[in-house]
Amino acid sequence: MPAPALLPRTAPFGDDEIASLDRVLGPATATQRAWLAGFLAGLDASAPATATVTSAQVAEPLTILFATESGNAERLAQDAAKLARKGGFKPKLIDFADLVAADLAAEQRLIVVASTWGEGEPPARAARAYAELMGPAAPRLEGVTFGVLALGDTAYAEFCAIGKALDARLVELGAKRAVERVDCDLDFEAPAAEWIKAALQTLAPAREAGGNVVSVDFKPRPAGEASREPVTAEIVEHINLNSSRSGKETIHLALRFDGSAPAYEPGDSLDLYPHNDPALVEAVLAAARLDGDAQLRAALVSERDLTTLSTGTIEKFLAATAHPEVRRLIDEGGARAWSDGRQLVDLLEAFPVRLTAEELKGLTRPLPPRAYSIASSRKEVGDEAHLLVAAVRYESRGRARAGVASTHVADRLQVGGSVRVRLKPNKHFHLPEPSTDIIMVGPGTGVAPFRAFVQERRAVGAAGRSWLFFGDRRFTHDFLYQLEWQDALKDGALTRLDLAFSRDTPRKVYVQHRLWERRRDLIEWLEGGAHLYVCGNAKAMAKDVRAALVRAFVDVKALDADAAAAVVTALERERRYLQDVY
Amino acid sequence: MGTDVSRNERIKEASRFLRGTLPEGLVEVATGAISEDDAQLVKFHGTYLQDDRDLRAERTKKKLEKAFAFMVRLRLPGGVCTPAQWLALDQIARDYANGTLRLTTRQTFQFHGIIKSNLKTSMQAIDAALLDTLAACGDVNRNVLATSNPHQSRAHRAALDLAHAISDQLLPRTPAYREIWLDGEKILGGEEGEVVEPIYGTTYLPRKFKTVVAVPPANDVDVFAQDLGFIAILDPDGHVAGWNVTVGGGMGMTHGEPDTYPRTADVMGFCLTGDAVAVAEAVVTVQRDWGDRANRKHARLKYTIEDRGLSAFRAEVERRVGKPLQPPRPFGFTSTGDRYGWTEGEDGRAHLTLFVENGRVRDHDGGPAMLAGLRAIAEAHDGEFRLTANQNVIIANVRPENRAAIERLVAAHGLDRHATALRRNALACVALPTCGLALAESERYLPALVTALEARLAAHGLADDEITIRMTGCPNGCARPYLAEIGLVGKGPGRYNLYLGAAFDGSRLSKLYAEDLEHDGIVAALEPLFAAYAAGRLQAERFGAFLIRTRRIAQTGNGRDFHANTGPLRTMELAG
Repeated sequence: MPAPALLPRTAPFGDDEIASLDRVLGPATATQRAWLAGFLAGLDASAPATATVTSAQVAEPLTILFATESGNAERLAQDAAKLARKGGFKPKLIDFADLVAADLAAEQRLIVVASTWGEGEPPARAARAYAELMGPAAPRLEGVTFGVLALGDTAYAEFCAIGKALDARLVELGAKRAVERVDCDLDFEAPAAEWIKAALQTLAPAREAGGNVVSVDFKPRPAGEASREPVTAEIVEHINLNSSRSGKETIHLALRFDGSAPAYEPGDSLDLYPHNDPALVEAVLAAARLDGDAQLRAALVSERDLTTLSTGTIEKFLAATAHPEVRRLIDEGGARAWSDGRQLVDLLEAFPVRLTAEELKGLTRPLPPRAYSIASSRKEVGDEAHLLVAAVRYESRGRARAGVASTHVADRLQVGGSVRVRLKPNKHFHLPEPSTDIIMVGPGTGVAPFRAFVQERRAVGAAGRSWLFFGDRRFTHDFLYQLEWQDALKDGALTRLDLAFSRDTPRKVYVQHRLWERRRDLIEWLEGGAHLYVCGNAKAMAKDVRAALVRAFVDVKALDADAAAAVVTALERERRYLQDVY
Repeated sequence: MGTDVSRNERIKEASRFLRGTLPEGLVEVATGAISEDDAQLVKFHGTYLQDDRDLRAERTKKKLEKAFAFMVRLRLPGGVCTPAQWLALDQIARDYANGTLRLTTRQTFQFHGIIKSNLKTSMQAIDAALLDTLAACGDVNRNVLATSNPHQSRAHRAALDLAHAISDQLLPRTPAYREIWLDGEKILGGEEGEVVEPIYGTTYLPRKFKTVVAVPPANDVDVFAQDLGFIAILDPDGHVAGWNVTVGGGMGMTHGEPDTYPRTADVMGFCLTGDAVAVAEAVVTVQRDWGDRANRKHARLKYTIEDRGLSAFRAEVERRVGKPLQPPRPFGFTSTGDRYGWTEGEDGRAHLTLFVENGRVRDHDGGPAMLAGLRAIAEAHDGEFRLTANQNVIIANVRPENRAAIERLVAAHGLDRHATALRRNALACVALPTCGLALAESERYLPALVTALEARLAAHGLADDEITIRMTGCPNGCARPYLAEIGLVGKGPGRYNLYLGAAFDGSRLSKLYAEDLEHDGIVAALEPLFAAYAAGRLQAERFGAFLIRTRRIAQTGNGRDFHANTGPLRTMELAG
């Protein structure tokens, strides 16, 4: 049995040397390691080699595995790694996208940070390794000690489903749960930080008394990391890009920062802090018979999530009110079905009870920011950042509903006003070298980052070709940024454009149909090293695009389905098939 | 080609028989438009590039180009189609156009709002219905009209046959149409020794060319408004003995340019049916050779006739036909309108003429369900549909046993809605928002104006009197406004020139009565004339004739005096 890998491959040694060191260090006792650490430190400081170091302690390996979609899980994993380093661990970060499930068998301590996406699904990039781990070929994990931190959104029925499933699965595979799982909602910051701290304490090995930890940084820290503090931006443009004949409303929002523009890169997002619709706040206050409370009103407008209604909310409501009908609803198991398509205001109106301000607040969670892909490049727009925001409006249970953030942008922001935003980097969705070809698939608001890409590539005079697949409902009324794409085609920042408008023809045409039609060229580009980017709807579009890509390889390269799927998987692992889906 | 020819002549010459760069332009996806030159050429294929002018103001701000779309016009000689064809066109309208069919003053269908990416599909669907759009627009012989008056079945058959024969003979021969729209095999044009266009040559005609076939007493096709016309001369037993030939009619003019004017056609002679196609071809080729190719505003046949004289023109036509024309035979028209309701033909078949306001076949909210109703009729009908030059539709050749079923469908969809006499005699061109030439509203406004005028007419007891009223959004005259007793021609947004004094039977042009009138001004100008007409008309005297007899407006003789002596006559007060 080979010795467990201790040194990272990035360590400044040859592979043989790493193996030799691992052989020595692996089975070494704590004292032996501490001695070595002290010895080496002294050697470096040209101190006498007669090391009398008493009790330095060598960092313990800790693997932090994350499954991320929007970047939250990844950031928490990074936070955990930083803290672990300080705590004497030697942390290793692994993205689910890169995970080889079999390798987990060699781990000793494992922290898993896992997001759940959509209706209880793993993040797109994590799907492959997740399936491996859940499937029959998963390794046995006796000897692994772990804890799971789950991220989710109580607005969805399958809250934290992936974290829960992994937590159970690791036990099934023989691993030892050392830390109880915590399921975090959108306001995950505080509970996640607390969990990480506790988990590191629990996973830490017993210390020899008085021992010092020799902390070794295996990775250089990113220099000058962009600020993630919320900043206030002025709105300088607010344009509905859809024609007045369109059923859609997609706002081009240009934000100007007064000297403090976040240092964003094309592909990054901004978290936007919305306010609630004042009319909804009024309705909630009225239903709770709290309309006189101005302080509460202000808090509800800007701080509390007033739309989400989960079974948890209903349970809290019951706890606060002991409402008999609500008790019956829960006892009879009907709470989830009842909450479907309803919001907090429906609950308050259906079961009218006078609440206190604290009770009402207690029913809600903090109002989370909403991330929007940045649609501009700083090289073209300077101290501005542009967002593309589709107003979400629909009807459910006989009532008009509005997406909080999107209609805040569409209805309540205007030129001259301001909005708070925070940079949300997405380093998994950045441009490759300027000489590399890029293929961009971005229907609807999914086109936002690609406007940033094309601006950036124009600004740097990129030699690589660029090919955009865009789609929406109707060519005439929904062709977002049409004039700009025309200009980009003329000046060469965009090499090629294919369009799919679903409502222009009796048969609905979507971007995946265009990818299929263009499959020969598409595969030629990919074989030439092109990177493929997909941004937009995760539920349907991103999956259909992936399926079309697999079929394209089957057809053009005469592969069987498994081989074609393996080619696409390889593209993903090589970071040449990148997704930013929501 | 001389250096002084107009730009369009160069485009045609360079187009390789109407190909231009259309194949390339159609697949350029980022824009809904085609190049300017191709936009000229595509007309010959039956389609215009237009844009929704209602949306122009907002587009650039929204980072959108103009809301481009194509108008597609069919070639439908005599305006006759089968129920299956109607259904196919209805489907195209709902799948690819704006959900309406537009019946035109040239007895054909227009689609509006077809975007570029759907253009080829639409053309192919039209082809699949055994129809086409070739030469429906452009500097060629356009859709040939034939009187739709169905009760004279034999004469109608003869007129329709002649319309088809002329249309076939004068159809462009270029393979470009098949090549571009139907993915036909590429046939190289202009090979050595090969004559691609034996009639038209490389530059086609100097300007558009319009041909009709009329059967008196109906002048529904407005024969005097056309470049070329054939008027049936009937035997006492209703058979066609031959045709009077008319030349040099035309409506178009330009505001403020008195060198441009509408003109009523001259009756040039008489020919037998067997010679009619040859005469038509000769008229077209003389115009091809003699017409003005330097100035498109002076390029219609009417100016050639004015400049060269009718007798010189006739002599050249006779030389090319190889025989002289006979002297014209007497004929008489009674009206330009349609007869509504059921009529029975000589052959026992029944025909139902339905009023279609402005020719717009659509389902009106709370009004008649024209589109759905005619679709239902097309599904049940085994005769044919005939479009009239007045933008109406005839459910033609109904077998007696099917009549009741048709009547039920008509009633169920409200297609027999009563329209007043003025509304039944109203014509409007499309104008805004799609027509690029429009200076003012037409189709969208005329119904409201008619409503206002109906009230004034009723006040004077004239509600049931037939008066022709026509409106166009620009002076080019698609709805033939200068032949209406009340003609309104767009001058600017909400402003119209009012023309009066034309003959009810379409034989005499009107004259400018007042300029730049807005809605209230139009009603105010007409109100006293209605009052005088009600009080002072002679037995069966038409409104246009009354205004001339009572010297309220000067009579227009022919085109050259159209711009002379305009406005209310000074003697009006004395006469009134």
